[in-house]
Amino acid sequence: MQCEQAQPLIGALVDDVLAGQERRTLLAHLRDCARCAALEAGIRADAPKLAALGRVAPPEGMHARIGARLAQADTDEDFAWGDPVQPVVPVPRNRQPPGWLGLAAMLVLVCGLSSGATWFVVAHQARDAQVVHDVLAAHVRSLLQDAPIQVASSDAHTVKPWLVGRVDFAPEVHDLSAEGFPLLGGRLDFVDGRRVAVMVYKRRLHTINVFAWLTEGAGNSAPRLIVRNGYSLVTWTEAGVTHAAISDLNSDELLVLQKLL
Amino acid sequence: MGVPMDTRAQFAELTTPHLAAAYNLAFWITRSRADAEDVVQDAYLRAWRGFGGFRGGPMLPWLLAIVRNAAYRWMSTHRHAGNVVSLDTLFLGDDGTPDPAMQIAADAPTAEAAMIAASENAHVMRALASLPPVLREILVLREIEGMSYHEIALTTGSPAGTVMSRLSRARLALRRALSGTTEKDSLHAV
Repeated sequence: MQCEQAQPLIGALVDDVLAGQERRTLLAHLRDCARCAALEAGIRADAPKLAALGRVAPPEGMHARIGARLAQADTDEDFAWGDPVQPVVPVPRNRQPPGWLGLAAMLVLVCGLSSGATWFVVAHQARDAQVVHDVLAAHVRSLLQDAPIQVASSDAHTVKPWLVGRVDFAPEVHDLSAEGFPLLGGRLDFVDGRRVAVMVYKRRLHTINVFAWLTEGAGNSAPRLIVRNGYSLVTWTEAGVTHAAISDLNSDELLVLQKLL
Repeated sequence: MGVPMDTRAQFAELTTPHLAAAYNLAFWITRSRADAEDVVQDAYLRAWRGFGGFRGGPMLPWLLAIVRNAAYRWMSTHRHAGNVVSLDTLFLGDDGTPDPAMQIAADAPTAEAAMIAASENAHVMRALASLPPVLREILVLREIEGMSYHEIALTTGSPAGTVMSRLSRARLALRRALSGTTEKDSLHAV
């Protein structure tokens, strides 16, 4: 066996995947050829050197950024799905066709009306959609992080004062262990451009984030259930505070929690 | 637009433990920490979209195959734009030794330069970085991730015979790079 034939086989020998005649011929060559034997020793020594490099550590926060991007991608798809459809304007048949000027005027009118209608619908929905989007993203992010809780306590009298010092209102915090929703703690998050209080509850293995923020001037509103990306989201407003409870829990049990709060 | 709730949780549960492996592979293909994060983000997005097509089995080769494709896609689009400064143009001269002129030209050392210089295994990292990407990746999969030939074949989408011959070439190339860069090292080997 020549060196040129032997050298490409050394890797296979080192990995112990070389068998039979090829293996015997290579071993014989390595006994005779000091250069190839040195190469084999070198290759054997390189493996642990590479292993010793270990993995290059990911930058801090990459995990959370990926979670946020996944959540964002999902909601983006949702929004595209729900885009308002342009109305189809029927052209009257039996009438005399309008002149060129009339047609142009009608086109302008139709464009104006439909874009106006679209703007109205979008403007109305945009704010709600932004809140849903932010709450969903914050929830998913909290699940991806190691520590979704900044103040960990099952005692409402520990969690509430901590939150009161950090947001502009006093959120409702209850320990609902007896009802099967133990309080895990609280944290701050950022939704719709403002700092919000988050109370974290647990139901069996499901984490529930209850977001709360002040909405001045808004009347009370009944709970509204939204299901998005498999997460149930219940929003309601009471005494000037808007709440959004979100979890992968089934929506019935989430509504039970809403009633308890 | 219902993504079943347990699908999302299942995806997170299956893919999160492999983030470090994904990032490491992306880093060694792109040789840039910033690009590696972009690649991993892109790959996880694609993995999530394609999760419906995942039919069980080992997650790591499935995921790393997506990371690998994302990394090569990234390289082919960004190389053309001239945005990528390769490590060996930064650190190695033509003879494979660190080029002082290049280091002076780059007055602020990049994160990669600092990281490699700080590493005890700087010469091994430089040698690995100097290999062509297909040889780098196969050494990373084999020696750092400890994958079997079969798992490597699944990840790279190539037959077992190709894995064996490519790994062999990669080891010879690394040996050459290592004995070329450090005198001490080659003395050890002999």
